[in-house]
Amino acid sequence: MAAPAEQRGPRTGPRRHEERVAYLFLLPALAGLALFRVYPIVEAIAGALYRDVFTSHGPRTVFAGLANFGSLVADPVFWASLWVTLELNLIINPLQVALALGLALMVDRAGRAVRLYRLLVLVPIGVSLPVATLVWRLMLDPNGGFVNALLGRLGIPPQPFYTSAGQALWSIILIANWKGVSYWMVFVLAGLQAIPAELKEAAAIDGAGPLQRFARVTLPLLRGPLLFVLVADTVINFVMFVPMYLLTRGGPSGATNVLMYQAYKVGFAFGDMGQALAIVTVLLALLLGVVTWQFRLFDRGWGRS
Amino acid sequence: MTPAPRRLATLALAVLYAAVAAFFVVPLWWALVGSLTPLDDVFRHLAPFDLRALWPTHPTLAAYVALFRDHAFGRVLFNTAFVALATVAAGLVVNALAGFAFAVMAFRGKRVLFVAVLVSAMVPAEALAIPLYRVVGSLGMLDSYGALIAPAVSNGIAIFLFRQFFAEIPTEIMEAARIDGAGWVTILLRLYVPLSLPVTIAAGLLLFVFQWESFLWPLIAAHSPNVMVLQIALANLQQQHSTQWTQIFAASSLAALVPLMLLLPLQRYYVRGIVGSGVKG
Repeated sequence: MAAPAEQRGPRTGPRRHEERVAYLFLLPALAGLALFRVYPIVEAIAGALYRDVFTSHGPRTVFAGLANFGSLVADPVFWASLWVTLELNLIINPLQVALALGLALMVDRAGRAVRLYRLLVLVPIGVSLPVATLVWRLMLDPNGGFVNALLGRLGIPPQPFYTSAGQALWSIILIANWKGVSYWMVFVLAGLQAIPAELKEAAAIDGAGPLQRFARVTLPLLRGPLLFVLVADTVINFVMFVPMYLLTRGGPSGATNVLMYQAYKVGFAFGDMGQALAIVTVLLALLLGVVTWQFRLFDRGWGRS
Repeated sequence: MTPAPRRLATLALAVLYAAVAAFFVVPLWWALVGSLTPLDDVFRHLAPFDLRALWPTHPTLAAYVALFRDHAFGRVLFNTAFVALATVAAGLVVNALAGFAFAVMAFRGKRVLFVAVLVSAMVPAEALAIPLYRVVGSLGMLDSYGALIAPAVSNGIAIFLFRQFFAEIPTEIMEAARIDGAGWVTILLRLYVPLSLPVTIAAGLLLFVFQWESFLWPLIAAHSPNVMVLQIALANLQQQHSTQWTQIFAASSLAALVPLMLLLPLQRYYVRGIVGSGVKG
């Protein structure tokens, strides 16, 4: 500790005072983050190593080693839940990035009308996911909801939507897109508007058509914002919980039973905290792996000029 | 292109723009109209579908009255507003102090601590809700305002926003004030705070929206009626009275209108805030 400090020169009065004040200013924020953000990670991993048992003296928590992870591996519900989580994310994350890019291209124009249009498209930013889910629940109500009424006018038979195993996950994807796409669009649009117009003009003078200009100039320069949106979106969608709780209860027959919902159910409906924390630990490890992989992908992958 | 195909392309584009706008606007508009409509009308105009579903033909406030009279929404709204505003007030002070230290002051471990703050902001709150339940439980804080407020005060993104903003303010004036013997608190309050309205709005909205929209944490940590917040009351309403569409619409409209009324006029700050947290980071 002392050596590097001395290299930077003697710690005389005012410098040491500045340092002390700085730590004091940081203390409330860092203490809050340590207690409510970092320590729960430790608690999840440590708690997953314990198990509640019922003895003649009442319930007790005992050290169980990796037993909670062992019973996860042996549980077909866990594997099904893991698959649903991956399936959801394999669909929704690329889809939302693509739709956010499309929407950004649509509203990347100057003028009053476009400004108003942008405001309309941004409405879902102010709507929480629980509200979005409940409104869409009635929109998609299989018996006389708004969408089926509209489909009826077009001569299409009523759809079961979230009440069928085949359409439940897609219903949730629809709701999450309604809530999420315009939010992510904001980041892509900022990236688009940061591209100097001269670059596109230069490409146009060189004879590049609109599609070529998009592929050769725009897309490579959007690498940063698109990577950010992909990673941040993945982090959120891996722990998606609200639509499963309010719309499908993980069903029908497990079709939307993602790991986050399974962890909640095990912990708070079945009261098995050790097992729930084991699922949370798996979820955190999975998330770390996926995000690292996404960063790698973008590092090596497309568009690096 | 010849004129006819060009006109067709323009038409297709117009249809696309209209459909996208309708997709984003109609659900909330329908909920708002439904909240002001008698229950029978809501169903009547959907079977078969009729454009009157999108206009309140017999406006009534009955659904809102029922929320406040039968479902204690007065208390629920107070709880939600109190928790959100307390989080914003405490969060602005705590995160601005940290952002100021990171931006302006010299101390050992600065880089490491700042990276740790950014990494902590990447971990989604939902993933930590279940272990957090045990942490807050062992502090004896469950089922209280404190359980809702305390974990949301320190916010890595808010710290980042303040740091970025303060770092762009030229240091010459600050250094002159130091030479004149001004203390750090004076410098922060007299020189930096008066300039920081934009970042304060952005960080305040961020903290407010985070708290207003959070669901899993209040669901497990605060379910007794005297601390219940809007999102949870809304979920309970749906589960216990699922046929009362107009009341669900009314509660949804209330829950959406407050953030919208804040975000639409202040959207430039908010958008700059969320973009600042992402693209540069």
